[in-house]
Formats: sequence, structure tokens, C-alpha cells
Amino acid sequence: MSLGRLVLRHATSHPVRSLLTVAAVGVAMFLFCFLRSIVTSLDAAVKASASNRIVTASAVSLFQSLPTAYREQIRDVPGVQSVSRLTWFGGLYQDESGFFGQFGTDPEVILEQYPELLLPPAERAAWVADRKGCIIGAGLAEKYGWRVGDEIPLIGTIYPRVDRAEWRFTVCGVYRSAKANVDEMTLYFHWSYLDETLERGEAQGPRGTSVLLVRVQDGVRAEDVSAAIDAYYSGGPQRTRTQSEAAFQADFVNMLGNLPTFLGMIGAAVLLAILLGIVNTMTISARERVRSMGILKSLGFPDAVAAQLYLLESIALVGIGATIGLALAYGSVPFFRKLFGVQIPMYEVAPDTLVLAVFLTIVIGLLGGAVPALASARLKAVEALRRGA
Amino acid sequence: MRPLIELEQVRRVYLKGGEPLVVLDGLDLAIGAGEFVAMMGPSGSGKSTILNLVGGLDAPDEGRILVGGEDLGALSPAELAEWRARHVGFVFQSFNLLPVLTALENVELPLLLTPLGKAARREQARFALEIVGLADRMDHRPRQLSGGQEQRVAIARAIATDPAILLCDEPTGDLDRHSADQVLDLLERLCREHGKTILMVTHDEAAAARAGRIVRLDKGALVAGSGPA
Repeated sequence: MSLGRLVLRHATSHPVRSLLTVAAVGVAMFLFCFLRSIVTSLDAAVKASASNRIVTASAVSLFQSLPTAYREQIRDVPGVQSVSRLTWFGGLYQDESGFFGQFGTDPEVILEQYPELLLPPAERAAWVADRKGCIIGAGLAEKYGWRVGDEIPLIGTIYPRVDRAEWRFTVCGVYRSAKANVDEMTLYFHWSYLDETLERGEAQGPRGTSVLLVRVQDGVRAEDVSAAIDAYYSGGPQRTRTQSEAAFQADFVNMLGNLPTFLGMIGAAVLLAILLGIVNTMTISARERVRSMGILKSLGFPDAVAAQLYLLESIALVGIGATIGLALAYGSVPFFRKLFGVQIPMYEVAPDTLVLAVFLTIVIGLLGGAVPALASARLKAVEALRRGA
Repeated sequence: MRPLIELEQVRRVYLKGGEPLVVLDGLDLAIGAGEFVAMMGPSGSGKSTILNLVGGLDAPDEGRILVGGEDLGALSPAELAEWRARHVGFVFQSFNLLPVLTALENVELPLLLTPLGKAARREQARFALEIVGLADRMDHRPRQLSGGQEQRVAIARAIATDPAILLCDEPTGDLDRHSADQVLDLLERLCREHGKTILMVTHDEAAAARAGRIVRLDKGALVAGSGPA
């Protein structure tokens, strides 16, 4: 026999009520973690961005292509180490549901610029050598069951082929990502293959490149290089907007408007609702146990022990529920990665979300038990025995 | 020899509907160690109030309560709780067992306040249940026991820490005659063989007759039997 066992017996004396309370906390904590993880996953790409990479895009719009000649010109800007093209292809696999990110790029340059893009040397060499080849992220390979050597047919939407045929890319490699700024749900192919096809008139679509990825030399301030590039094109023919990779990633997050704030508010509201629910449950329990508290006090248990029983019970109920909620949140990461696909390809429950959830669990547990605990501590034994009779 | 329990000029006034209600008015009472005292009187005469005062569950408005020479009024609430755990065992009319615990666990409960280890606590609780003749019911929950058995478990709980004083508030009030006799036999034995000092409130003359002394109260004052026999 121990006070812990007494807490357990009290908590399980109304099994249905306790189960519902635990389930409610579990669902609330899962929701909190899920909503917060959407925000942190979007944010993680921004935080993981390299400080020595900058992105040059049209100052008018991301949808406005930059002239190809800009690549050579920017390469000559002092402080620039390398420049790669990146063009948004926007193709569809099979139908509209088969949408994922596809970019035409310069294989050798981008692999040098992005060391976090992990590709076995043999596959790297194969991609560089094959102008119709592509590499795909491990998540994409898993989702569609693609392997090296497979041919991926894509319907061009921005770049339709004039013969209405599909574009076909051969999988030369499957990459993995070492950091959150690179997702594993994208296909990269040769920019030159796209450009040559357009040149031959076999496909239609805008020429040029969506953006230019610039690697800054070590020891050079990225801000200075950005300013130099934008200054160079300030008179046209097309003005540019150059920003750090982090700022570029943040722009995508900002395109979602106030979604992070909105999700945060929903998460907070869910937790507040569950706190009120716990207070209600514990208050009902306390009302039913006035006599038991009187008995304990008459046996010589101090007021503090009576209060502790409610606090421990509340923490136990909330703790069990929160553990289930957290397990659900972690367990469902693969499911949500598939569900979100390209929208949030690097969805994950971050460690700081876990820490915050544990902290909130303790706070909700303590606050939930505090009301009956205080009332119980103040109640005199005689009064408790009389009221509970 | 000095009495174990002494009430000196005790006055207790409750507020009822905003009006003062004098329950005890300058009461003097002394009970010797090892005495079995029955306390009788009409409802509202102050019997249960005396039990609560002696057990440190309530405090007088005036006067002093000395137990073993210790003035309970000088103790803080926390000290009073500790004192109660060491020196007093309560037996209530409605048994007051915790329904979520087994008989053994109910008896073990006050032992949590002692420095005894888990095994020793369990052993002592078993011994207390053996004394009340319920060793074979230790794993039963209160709702699985008869009224008489519940009260015997309550008595086992009251004696588990081996307190000097047992305060019994109508311990046979909810029991049939047979069960009441068993409980009274037990209380007599605890007084006689184990030296417990027992103060028992009762309305039952037959139960009171089992005590060594009967004190009678009326309107907050003793009308018979104020000192040790």
C-alpha cells in the first residue's frame, strides 16, 4: 500500500470517466503537436538554409523567368563561386493527383552547391552523364515505388510537348537529404534537356530560368554579393531580387499568410479547452471524495497530503493522455509525410515540440488538480466527514 | 495518578444560521488510562463534539484539552495531525472505510504515517486484522463485507498504529444486535487485554453497559460520571 496506489485506485474508480479524460487529453495533445509540427516543419527549412547560398529571382514575380544570360553575368560578379539554374517544371504524373516538385537544373553545379543532397557517387556520375536522366528523393521513390533505371513519364503543363506526348526522365539516382531545407519529394533533371527541347520547337513554354542559385565564396558576405547582383540589374533588362536562401524559403512560408499564427491559436485553444475539462473532472472527483479526505485527515494525514493526492491524480491522468497523444503524433509522422506530400515534405515532430508538450502536460496536470487540491487542503476533517455523510 | 485525558472548562460554540449555539459550556471531564468510558446523552448534547475535541479534529473556544499532559491547543495544525496519527484511533458509526481499498489496505493506511517499511506495515496490518478476527477477509473491498465486518476492519485500522486512545462515535449504531455484540466484545478486549483507553459515544444502553463507566451529557454539561472510576 502506498499513496501512489491510492491515487491509482481513485483514478480507476470511475473507469469510463477516467478513460474519456485520458482520451480527451490524448487527442488534444496530439492535435497540439500536429499543428505545431506543421509550423515548425515549415520553419525548419528556413532555419536549415545555408548562409553562403543566395537566390536570384525576378523582382517582378517568381513566375517571371530570368534570361539565361544572367547566369554567365552573375558568375562574374565578385564573390560568386558558382551559379546554377533552377526552373520549375510543373509536370503531372498520370493525373492531377500525381503532383510533386520537378526542377530543371545544372547537375554538376547543384550537387556541388548542395552537399546536403546525398547521392552515391555512381548515381551522381550516371545523372551527370545522362541528359534525359533525373534524380528523385527517397520519399518520392518510396511513394511511387520507383527505382534506378525506371522511366518516369510526366505530362507537361507549363511545358507541353507539341506532339502531346509525355516527357520521359530516366531515374539515375535516389537522393537522401541531410538537412530539413532539402526535401526528399522532388525530381531534378537536366535544365539543358528542357532548354534544347524548347529550342528545337518540340515543346512550348517560357525560356530562361525560374531562379538562379548562387554559391558565395567563403569569407565573402552574402549580403554584399546580393546587393551587387541587384545593383547590376537595376537598369534592366529585367530587375532582380536576390535574397538569402533562408529568406527565399521564408517567402514560401509567408505565402501561406497567417497560417502559422492561426494554427498556433487553434493549438492554444485546444489546450485551454482540455485544461477546463481536467479542472471539471477533478472537481467532480473531489466532490465525490469529500468523505475520503475527511477520513484521511482524521487518521492524521496532513492537509498537504490530501492536496497532493489530487495533484498526483490530475498529473497521472494528464500524463497518460499526453503520452498517448505524443506517441500518436510521432507514430503518425510517416502517414502525414505521405498525406502532405510536396506541401510539407519534411514534416516531423521536432524535439522542442516534445519538450514543450511535456512542460504543458505538467502545467495542465498541476493546474487541473490545483482547484480541488486547494479546496481539500482548506477543508477541516470534521466538516469533510459531516458533508460526506 | 494523573488522568490520561483531561477537559478543563471547555466551551464550544457553533454558529447556526448566524446565531451562536452553545454546544459545550464549561465542561470538565477526566478519563484515566485504560478506562472504557461510554458517553450518553440526547442528540445535540455535545457527545460527538467531545470526541472531535479529544481527537484534535476540532478546537475549543475556551478551556483546555490535555492528553497525556500535552495541551492540544498549543499544537499547530500539522503537529496536531502528527499527534493524532500517533496517539488516537477513530471508529465511526458509518465505518468510513475507503471503498477503493481492500480491508488490508485500509488498515495499512494509517501506517503510512509511521517510519515502518512496506513489509513491516503489511505485517502489522495483518496482525490488526487477526486481532479483530478478519484475517480471512483481508483482500475484500468494503462493499464485499457485512456491516459488522466493516466495523471490525475500521477498528483494526484504528488500532493498527497501536494508539493509546480509541475514540468511537456510535460504533454499533448501524449494526444488528449480533454484530454490535461482536464489536463491543472486541472493544472490551482491546481495553482489557491491550490497555486501550476507549471513549465511546452511544445511544444504546446495552452498549453503554459494556463500558466501565458511563458519563451522561445534557445541553453541553455533564450530568453524571465526570471523573475516573
